[in-house]
Amino acid sequence: MIHFHQINKHYGPYHVLKDINLSVKQGEVVVVIGPSGSGKSTLVRCINRLEWVTDGELIVDGMRVNDKSIDINKLRRHIGMVFQHFNLYPHKTVMQNITLAPIQVAGMSKQEAEEAAMVNLDKVGIADKANAFPSQLSGGQQQRVAIARGLAMKPKIMLFDEPTSALDPETIGEVLDVMRKLAQEGMTMVVVTHEMGFAKEVADRIVFMDQGTIIEEAEPAQFFTQPREERARLFLSRILNH
Amino acid sequence: MLIQFSVLTEHLDRYLIGLGGTVAASVVSLLASFVLGAMIAVLCITPVKPLQWVGTAYVEFFRNIPLILIAFFVLVGVPLLTGTVLVPFISGLTALTVYTSAFIAEAIRAGIQSVPQGQMEAARSSGLTYLQAMRYVILPQAVRLVIPPLGNQFLNLVKNSSIFTVLSASDLMYQADLINSDTFDTFSTYIFAALFYLILTIPLSFGIRYLERRFPRVKGVEA
Repeated sequence: MIHFHQINKHYGPYHVLKDINLSVKQGEVVVVIGPSGSGKSTLVRCINRLEWVTDGELIVDGMRVNDKSIDINKLRRHIGMVFQHFNLYPHKTVMQNITLAPIQVAGMSKQEAEEAAMVNLDKVGIADKANAFPSQLSGGQQQRVAIARGLAMKPKIMLFDEPTSALDPETIGEVLDVMRKLAQEGMTMVVVTHEMGFAKEVADRIVFMDQGTIIEEAEPAQFFTQPREERARLFLSRILNH
Repeated sequence: MLIQFSVLTEHLDRYLIGLGGTVAASVVSLLASFVLGAMIAVLCITPVKPLQWVGTAYVEFFRNIPLILIAFFVLVGVPLLTGTVLVPFISGLTALTVYTSAFIAEAIRAGIQSVPQGQMEAARSSGLTYLQAMRYVILPQAVRLVIPPLGNQFLNLVKNSSIFTVLSASDLMYQADLINSDTFDTFSTYIFAALFYLILTIPLSFGIRYLERRFPRVKGVEA
């Protein structure tokens, strides 16, 4: 579904992604962890070309993402994305947030789009907030709306860029629950997170990054008990034993 | 008496002609500056660098020289370049529009760019094109941010139309100058001119406040 082959990215003088090789199969849940500034978010944002890579080959759903001749909007329809700061449209209701792309991009009728939106709102557990504005919702609720919005185009892949990092501790659980449910339904997911419990439980594979490089790739059971790399061991000891 | 009301009553026809000129100049220039300013703003925010430079150069040149200089350039420069002499009123409109549109472009650009980057990313990542994202996500939020600075520019425009008098185009200020040279009662003449300006600008001020209330800033816009 997603193939990074020898991907490098430079940001001016910064070499933010170094020789990345990574494949994500359909239905797989890959959780990317690592210290701040390690390139996790950049890696995920390359998948739908919010960031351009400098060189290497990146193929997503059969399309060469960095080929200027592809219709990027066509690719993006099939990729839902959830951001750290939700990025809901503050001037639109929950319902309008979710139906914008289905109506404008997929050409659905308003009624069709709203019915589909209700299904997704139901799934994320806030069907009663359809007519609220984002500012009237808690952080956890906003993020669940953002997930419903990401699901609105029936994506093949869902990307999560630190979806719980801006949330109150109390509302993190409700967002993770929704993500867990998605994973169980077989959604292909790439998740950047600091939630180690979630990673351990839901991930099919852990990708550990540091300084723009993938240091280690392993199943969660192995990664959390016996990481191969010293850098991963250090990271885990710092975040797990405090 | 410090203020002679006879100046007003005896020259009311001239004041009204002047008022008409100022209103016409303001309305036409307001529309033209808005359209031109919006186009320049688009240049300033396009991802195409050379267009950006053109837009930025326009804004920085015209908003950083005095309006009266622009008026002289139009008065003298246009005949030199094209061989045709403009009607004074058209010269005035041109100068006023060129000048005001630079400020309007800047206000619109700033409004659009103060909508958080994440809004564009969210819209684009859901498959919307750049133009769709602008239309449905960015501009509706930018409008609310742009109303106050735009309102200021429109007020300035009404007042700056007084530049017409140096081009001998008939506006409130020009007529006031004529009245003054008849009456030699400078204080009274210009006090009434000021009152006529206030008749125009105070309702405009309230109109802008009304719009600000109609389109309140959206809560929860992230910085």
